[in-house]
Parts: sequence; C-alpha cells; structure tokens
Amino acid sequence: MSDRSDVMSDLELVGQLRPAFHEVQDAPTPDQIDHARFRAYMKTSHDVGGVPSAPAEFLLKEEEQWELNTYVTCEVLGWRGVWVSEERRRMQNVDVGKTVYLGFPYYGRWLLAAARVLVEKHHVTLGELIERVDEVRRRYSEGIGAELPDAAPRAAGDPAAVARNDHHVVAVGKGDPQCYAGMAGKPRFGAGDEVRVRGLPTVFYTRTQEYVRGARGTVVKVSYESIAPEDEAFDRDDQKPEWFYIVRFRMADLWEPYAGCSGDSLQTEIPERWLEPADSQATRED
Amino acid sequence: MAHGDDTHETGHDDLHPHAPMVEEITDFEVLEIAVRELAIEKGLFTAEDHRHFTEFAEQIGPTPAARLVARAWLDPEFKRLALEDAIAASRAVGVDWLQPTGFGTPSDFTALHVLEDTPNLHHVVVCTLCSCYPRPILGNSPEWYRTPNYRRRIVRWPRQVLGEFGLHLPEDVEVRVEDSNQKHRFLVLPVRPAGTEGWSEDQLAEIVTRDCLIGVARPRPGVTWNAVRAVRPAIRAAANY
Repeated sequence: MSDRSDVMSDLELVGQLRPAFHEVQDAPTPDQIDHARFRAYMKTSHDVGGVPSAPAEFLLKEEEQWELNTYVTCEVLGWRGVWVSEERRRMQNVDVGKTVYLGFPYYGRWLLAAARVLVEKHHVTLGELIERVDEVRRRYSEGIGAELPDAAPRAAGDPAAVARNDHHVVAVGKGDPQCYAGMAGKPRFGAGDEVRVRGLPTVFYTRTQEYVRGARGTVVKVSYESIAPEDEAFDRDDQKPEWFYIVRFRMADLWEPYAGCSGDSLQTEIPERWLEPADSQATRED
Repeated sequence: MAHGDDTHETGHDDLHPHAPMVEEITDFEVLEIAVRELAIEKGLFTAEDHRHFTEFAEQIGPTPAARLVARAWLDPEFKRLALEDAIAASRAVGVDWLQPTGFGTPSDFTALHVLEDTPNLHHVVVCTLCSCYPRPILGNSPEWYRTPNYRRRIVRWPRQVLGEFGLHLPEDVEVRVEDSNQKHRFLVLPVRPAGTEGWSEDQLAEIVTRDCLIGVARPRPGVTWNAVRAVRPAIRAAANY
C-alpha cells in the first residue's frame, strides 16, 4: 500500500466520496468492496490534505457564546484530567463519521466530543444526558428572555469521586511533550537522514497523513519524545513514548504532477513507528 | 430564502438568512448547557475552573507574536533565542506557555517552533488534520484556517491558494508548507521589509499581522491590518471575544 500511485488515486477517490445517496442500494454486498473502496471508507475523516476542492472565499466569523463555552469546557476537561487532547480529537474529528464531520460547524463537533466523553467514561449515563437535554430545551420553550441562556448547575459535585488520568498531574511544571523527556531511549534517526514514510493501513485513528505515506523525505529535526497519537487517542498512557521527527519532503515527491516550482517543499511531524530508512527494501506489509 | 412570515421583527434576517429567530434557543446551546451542568454536578470541574479558563481565552491574541517578530528583527541575540528556544523567547514577550493550568493549554501543548523566512524562502502554516495553531501567543485561529477547503488545498496547490490571499510569490522563492499535525506549534518569522529602517519595536510590531504570522501575507510598511474579509455574524456572539 506504499505505492505512490495508490496514494494519488485514493485522494481522487476520497474527493468524490460523499456519505450517501449516490448508490442505488446502501450497504453493498462484500464483493462490491474492492481494495480502493475499503481504503476510502476506512480513511479517517480528518485527513483531508490534498483532496481536490474548488476555490472558495476565505471568510471570518463571529464566535457564538456557546462556541466559546464549548472550547473552554473541552480545555477544562483536559486541565482536570478527564481526557487528553488526542482523545478529544479522535472523538470529534474521526469517530463522528464523514457526514457530521463535513456537515456540522467546527465547534459543533467539539461539543459532541465533550458530550461523548462524559458518557463513554461513565461520568454520566446516556439516560441522564438525554433527560438533561430535554429539560434544558423545556426550560427555554417559551424562548429566551432578557438574560442570555446559561448553565444553572443544581449543585457542585465531589471532585474526589472522579476517576482522572495521571497526565494532568505528571505534566504540571513541565509541560507536554516535555513530561516525556528521557523516556524513549536513543532516537533511531538523526537530522539529515533520508527516510520513507511507511504505508501502514488506517484503522480507526492516526495523525500520519495519507498524502505523505510511501514518500521519501529528509529528517530536519529530532523533535521530542511523546506517546504516539494512536495510543494517546485511546487513553493508553501506559505505552512507551517514542521519538518524533520533523521531516521535509520535496513537493514534487508528494504530488504528481506538482503545479508549483521545483524547489517547493513541505514539512510535517511524524512519530518513529511510521518511518523507515529510505533505502531499505519494500515496506513490511508489502 | 423565502420567509413564511413577513410580520416578525426586521433587522436580523438580512444578516442571518438561515438562522432561527433570535429569541429561540439553538440545539447547540441546549446541548452545551446540558453538558456543562452535568460536568459541574458530577465534580469533573467547577464553575470557577470554567470562568478562570474563559478569562484566559478572552485575553489571548496576536500582539505578543507580533512583538516577538519585531524584537527578533531588531536584536540578533533575541532572534537566535527565538529560533533555538521559542518557548523562552515567548516568556520575554509576556507569554508563559505553561499557563493557565501549570502544563499549558491542553490543546496547544508547550512546544513552539519559529520558521525563519529568507528572501528566497517563504513559510506558510496549516493543520490538515484539525486546526492546530499557537493560540497562547497568536490568539484564536480565523475561521478560514479551520475550513476543509484551506486544509485540503494549501498542501498541494500552495502558490494558487496564496494567490487567493493576494500573495503572489516569484519562482525564485521556495514555498515551504508546514503541516502542523502533532504537538509542535509554528509561527512564521517573516523577512523585515524594506522601508522600515530606523523603526522602533512598536512601529515594527504594528505591521506584523496575524496573516503574516501564519504566512498567507507578508509585512509591508503602512499595512497594519489583515486583508478585509466578510465576517459571518453570530446569532448570539460571545462577549469580550
């Protein structure tokens, strides 16, 4: 799957993928799903780099009060150890599926993730959430008066009764990724090394973009040690941290054909598990 | 869009052709209130935590990043610090990346990298996977930065997209796109433009706009504001934001 032509054709196909309506029958039989379609359906909805799209006006917008409140709620859930940001990103950018990903406003997806983590980590039951949503809706059934809508908690809960991660304590005074320094051993690659991005399959979550897979690049910075996104996204801070690298690619090695100038380049950050020496033989899964 | 009822108050529908009438609560507001109430009632965080972080979020903006660039233009020693340890350089312009929690803002992490432009190299920043952005030193990202459109296209057709921002780069300038996809955050250090000789740090900081710091514009004497863009109004805009 590391063949660059696969990457190119997949980006084209995903650009055409819309959630529904265009097939005569939904839920096709297995024989109708070839490798390309399997790959397109498994692609994480946040991985949009290089997918063709027509030019559009670049707009600004005012922030809704609920959008600011949602952003702050998500950050405070991280501050108080309910989740790390990678769990949030998985829930709001990938688990929502392509229909909601493309159909909802940006902070609408943040809000869904905040609701979901409360339920998934057993802080509330789904029944409690549903009843509260219904109650708030009825509270404002006559419309909004002079006061802006706002939360009115009935009481403050017992913070000691809440299960929390270690990260929000361990990282204090150090920061993240600094809290993982010294835990990954010796870096496999150094600045100047020629590397290739492995063509691993996509299953549920990653932050290694499809458009760099199989491409050859140069390590320009040994970045930091951290837990890989595939682990952080599932609350696996028991896993060993690894080195991350900023890798530089020639645009002409990423896009065929590239419409800019031959010297143009792109950099992105990649964890060690996704890299191999550029001159090694075919990738492991081929 | 046609309206069934022509008798209701005027003034809002021109701005919000698709929005519900202003006195009606939206589905997002309902869900946001429900989630926040439950989180507080279950002890996940306190109302005071939420207020404290809101105050932090309300005061961030691009000013410290502009000052960091202006100071780097004037002081070679500071420029070296900015390129080698941007977190330390941030402290010198009043930004402590460990705040407000003691380990930073959870979404932004605490690793900043400054990308130095030269006369033959121009950087532009994107996050193709979400909207990673150096909020503590640059404020909240503009709406267009978060759109699938910008994220899809800038990594593949950067010169065309920069052209849509009014930035047309000659062929002898290398375009380098930085896809900010992990824990590092990035800030562009543009080339100091001609015509600014003898300027003070304050004067220089004024022409380092947010768009310059993302890399979709270059600083120019006399230009102290981002390109004018249409602003989609909110139904109930956040106060102080």
